[in-house]
Amino acid sequence: MVSTNEQPATKEGLTSLHWLLLISVFVIATCGLIYELVAGTLASYLLGDSVMQFSTIIGVYLFSMGIGSWLSKYLDGNLLKWFIRIEILVGIVGGCSAPLLFVLFEYVASFRLILYTLVGLTGILVGLEIPLLMRILENQLTFKELVSRVFTFDYIGALLASLIFPLVLIPHLGLIRTSLFFGLLNMGVAVFLLYRFNETRPFRATFSIVLTASIVFLTAGFVYAEQIMTYAEGVTFQDTVIYSKSTSYQRIVLTRNNRELRLYLNGNLQFSSADEYRYHEALVHPAMQARPTAKRVLVLGGGDGMAVRELLKYPSIQHIQLVDLDPGMTTLFQQNLKLLQLNQRSLLSPKVHVLNRDAFTWIRQDTAKYDVVIVDFPDPSNYSIGKLYSTTFYAELEKRLTPDGLVVVQSTSPYVARKSFWCIRNTLTAVGFQTIPYHAYVPSFGEWGYVLALRNHQWRPNGSLPAGLRFVNTQTIRDMLYFPPDMAEVPVEANKLNNQILVQSFEEEWAPYGQ
Amino acid sequence: MDNKPDSSERREFLRQTGLGTALLLTGISSLSACKATRSMSHIQGGMVGANYQAGHRLRSVAELMKLPVQETVTTDVLIVGGGVAGLSARRWLAQQGVRDVLLLEMAAQTGGNAAYGQNTVSAYPFGAHYLPIPDLRNQELVRFLKDINAITGFTYDGLPLYNDYYLCHDPEERLYINGFWQEGLVPETGVPEDDKKQIKAFFALVDQYKQAKGSDGLDAFMIPLDRSSADSQFRDLDKIAFTQFLNNHKFTSPYLRWYLNYCCRDDYGATLDTTSAWAGIHYFASRKGRAANAKDSDILTWPEGNGFLTDKLRGQSHSPIRQNILVYELRPNNQGVLVHACDVVSNQTIVIQARKVIVATPQFITRHLLPERPQGSGFRYAPWVVANLTISGLPQGRGLPLCWDNVLYNTSSVGYITANHQDLRDSLTKVVTYYKPLTDQDPDTARRMAYNTSYEEWLTQVLDELEIAHPSLRDYVSQADIWVWGHGMIAPSPGFIWGSERQLAQQPIDNNLFFAHSDLSGISIFEEAFDQGIRAASQVVSTL
Repeated sequence: MVSTNEQPATKEGLTSLHWLLLISVFVIATCGLIYELVAGTLASYLLGDSVMQFSTIIGVYLFSMGIGSWLSKYLDGNLLKWFIRIEILVGIVGGCSAPLLFVLFEYVASFRLILYTLVGLTGILVGLEIPLLMRILENQLTFKELVSRVFTFDYIGALLASLIFPLVLIPHLGLIRTSLFFGLLNMGVAVFLLYRFNETRPFRATFSIVLTASIVFLTAGFVYAEQIMTYAEGVTFQDTVIYSKSTSYQRIVLTRNNRELRLYLNGNLQFSSADEYRYHEALVHPAMQARPTAKRVLVLGGGDGMAVRELLKYPSIQHIQLVDLDPGMTTLFQQNLKLLQLNQRSLLSPKVHVLNRDAFTWIRQDTAKYDVVIVDFPDPSNYSIGKLYSTTFYAELEKRLTPDGLVVVQSTSPYVARKSFWCIRNTLTAVGFQTIPYHAYVPSFGEWGYVLALRNHQWRPNGSLPAGLRFVNTQTIRDMLYFPPDMAEVPVEANKLNNQILVQSFEEEWAPYGQ
Repeated sequence: MDNKPDSSERREFLRQTGLGTALLLTGISSLSACKATRSMSHIQGGMVGANYQAGHRLRSVAELMKLPVQETVTTDVLIVGGGVAGLSARRWLAQQGVRDVLLLEMAAQTGGNAAYGQNTVSAYPFGAHYLPIPDLRNQELVRFLKDINAITGFTYDGLPLYNDYYLCHDPEERLYINGFWQEGLVPETGVPEDDKKQIKAFFALVDQYKQAKGSDGLDAFMIPLDRSSADSQFRDLDKIAFTQFLNNHKFTSPYLRWYLNYCCRDDYGATLDTTSAWAGIHYFASRKGRAANAKDSDILTWPEGNGFLTDKLRGQSHSPIRQNILVYELRPNNQGVLVHACDVVSNQTIVIQARKVIVATPQFITRHLLPERPQGSGFRYAPWVVANLTISGLPQGRGLPLCWDNVLYNTSSVGYITANHQDLRDSLTKVVTYYKPLTDQDPDTARRMAYNTSYEEWLTQVLDELEIAHPSLRDYVSQADIWVWGHGMIAPSPGFIWGSERQLAQQPIDNNLFFAHSDLSGISIFEEAFDQGIRAASQVVSTL
């Protein structure tokens, strides 16, 4: 079928043209396997459970190749034209698969459906390639030569793909660029065939336009991929994902490695099991040391139950009210065995009352009084959360305190976000609290800040602490009060609902750490 | 407890990429459909607020006179109209110890232009929806705000502390311009340097007017505006159109002119050409509020808009109010005024003998009640369309997230506000209130057009426009209610504010009939109506 003015091949030797065609086989075989590996890696990257992901992706992919091979018999007429067409399609579908899957992951509920559809489509197209190519070459070589050569190159391509993928491509190009790059290689094969064979003349002009557009599109994607990649580092995880769920409020992801378990909300690290005890002991014990007889405690946020775990070390506490917006969080930490180990089943204690409500609305309606309030909200990274750090909110909080009551607020990093930290302190001061700012070092976070806020200045860091604490003791508390010059107080306004300056300074200060 | 904040830029980038892909897919699917008109059939709602139908019955008073008399009542003071001016007069009378007061309102609820609705998501305004923090010299308004706990206290140096729940929360305003949601309404994104210079110069100029005092020692621009200086160097600005003023000062920037035109439309339902220069400057030079916890440009707002204020105003007196009562004749007699009104529900007449009457109706109603009175032709009213959309999300492009006030550059509306902006719950479900003054045609033509436009046509127009900035918004709308205001607000046309008509229309008749309405001030804002009510009520008190 290939252009008749070419010299026919002898049974022994191959013309340069045949070599080039066989190199095409090699290229498309490499591309085909790369797409499969990209899909498998992406799926385990994003969905976790890599054995399951790889196994199902390989299965679906090979099965779809089978469908493609079967379908190839329905393609007749100008086979070269068909082949070029399919190369273009493989290039687009396969090339775009990684960026598309990355982008859609956050936004599509049935991500798996899209994943398998894409894998299936790529598989069908790739499955068409080899049978078509063999038919193109069928009159040029004897059958045994044909089968032998084509499959040799096919499998060599597969070997190359499987080696360069983990060793070269992922470390140097990343998933998105790899996928786009191999899309471009498919295009390259199409270009080569289009210009190498005279019989493509009738449709060369049309195909040239399509090819040019596709190549421009993929190249643009390749350049643009930098941004998708940068972003991807923020929402994806270096460790194995063992749980991920999108609730109405956020995306909850748990990852695991040999050393630790990590919880991310919307891509932001919430804790690492390796050092969360530092964070939570520092959050709870300085306040409790000052009010060792506290009976009623309110926890705002903190749906992981870790702060509650620390509180339950005080037998005097009779009632812990926990208010966390997201039932997805509190349910997870009430049911998952691994997490129950971490929080020591704290949320299942009969002393603990869990409410899934918006804290601002709830606090305005609540009428109870509390001896201690632990405020463990996410950092003020948007206007909705910023409201929970406002003078108005703290004024409402103040009304819920017993006369000796006190509040402790997790207050972001005084090292990274110095203005934000002192803004939170000043916001508490602005509504009449006496404040005691302090900080602790949590390896996975860095220097972390807290503010104790009291209705009166009855606080001495020398009360007794529960046995068995790993980080906080009387000496630690004393050390936490000292702010070295690079974290020392800076003048900054209080955060109010009608200025929300905290959100702005927070964004500015954390921006350089956004990578 | 994050150690890594999500960088909003990156999040935004990915979100848009996702949106782009979604759009691409939507685009492809709509291409395959035979026609790209997207369905609105899932949207509940309709035209609301058909008050004008009762009002239009005044066109045939003879018909009303034929109705049987249901009852006859007497009162010391009758207030006709339950908008801000009428309610303010009623409050003032109660505070002065006048007990025998009756207020009649044509509509089913009081509040006039501060009308509002409510659903399970939020209350939402159909008209006026904010109050700038007032000048401290406006003592009566400050006192009212104190009474209703909008001012929670004063600092030792006398500055009010405003209620944090009522001060408009941040982020407050954004403008969609050149494909980007920028902060604030004054155009910046993609604006050339020369335009920026002009914008800066304009604000410097109006700031001078803000500080300026006339030869009589009074501020050049005040609220209420009747307290402004009589100095002709300022008042003469009323004789020219705002456009003329801008031409004189070589303010040619299209961006600046768009912004100022937007301001005229937003506050007056008029354009640069139909607003007097004095009124145009007043918008910028009169806000002199001071507070311990707010800036002079800050405003107070509520989900129900100024309906919050009118409900509170109503609560400050216990004298009777009757709704659905259309007054159609005011006839002075030897005991004061004999008033005929129609109960629009039972279709019967009520006869009221009042000693004094405060006519707190707009002039287009008043002229039917007192046909013998000379009619002013300067009272022009802009028609408005207001749409409340309940949405389950708001897809948008780059820039600032949803604010309280959201304006689209170079569109026919003045944008939309988020009715539940002050609600502190974090919810994707919102009610947005879209405002559109019909300024393309003269008011009468626009009014007729507005009444003849169907719900579907309005809804299509509103959604088409909002989809410029919020692609596929239609799919997110569950309810849409549309209110057409035939006479939305008085327009301060050149020569009107300091001309004689408005003065004449304020004059009481025989010490029996008194007049109160914001259109007697020439600009339709809460402060003016509030003051008009007090002025008329004081006149009544002094003659009782």
